[in-house]
Amino acid sequence: MQHLSAHTINIPELLATAHHPKAGAIVLFSGETRDSSHGKTVSHLDYEAQETMADKMIADILQQATQRWQLNIAVAVHRTGKVAVSETAVVVITACAHRSEAYAANRFIIDKIKHEVPIWKCEYFTDGSKEWGGNCNCKDITGDANQHVYEFDGIK
Amino acid sequence: MKIYTYAILKDYFDKEFSIDENISNVALLNNFLAQRNPAAKDILAACRFAVKDNFVTNDFELQPEDQVHIIPPSSGG
Repeated sequence: MQHLSAHTINIPELLATAHHPKAGAIVLFSGETRDSSHGKTVSHLDYEAQETMADKMIADILQQATQRWQLNIAVAVHRTGKVAVSETAVVVITACAHRSEAYAANRFIIDKIKHEVPIWKCEYFTDGSKEWGGNCNCKDITGDANQHVYEFDGIK
Repeated sequence: MKIYTYAILKDYFDKEFSIDENISNVALLNNFLAQRNPAAKDILAACRFAVKDNFVTNDFELQPEDQVHIIPPSSGG
């Protein structure tokens, strides 16, 4: 699996792969585990994925972004398994000529991953409880589980 | 037909199980599972279904040998 990892994501190592002579801008987004949610203290997160679908879908999203914004480099890796507080759950790196495109592409990629890719987060709390959380609820708005409301530019 | 469930759906169904009944399409499979466990009706209504790693629509015709993955709303990131 190129875009899923059951192990700690090494951000400096990934960033080192994202330099390109034609890229004047590199944007790196790291989604990390917060220590609180729903008013409770978070112990850790645990991510599950339908791995074959998730890996292919992330690859397709990176390809879409690369074509749309003429990216030189597009990288995305999502964790599976246990992710401790302050650890990286997902990283997206975009590199291209100028910063506006690098930012836009990065946001596009993380939005698409969060809404579409079959990956699920379970929050574990220090009180011993757990909760499957943060589900995409776009169907409540669009009436279609495959129609999403993205932060990056409205309904797609 | 073999069914695979994920995430919150595993609170309602086994992770993997087989169905011997002849169920002809995705919509009927969704209804069948909601009747088997009515508490899962709302979450099933929000799920996507996939066969051979592709999402399929409610009218997709199922075959007895199909492996159906039931995909709850995503919550990655």
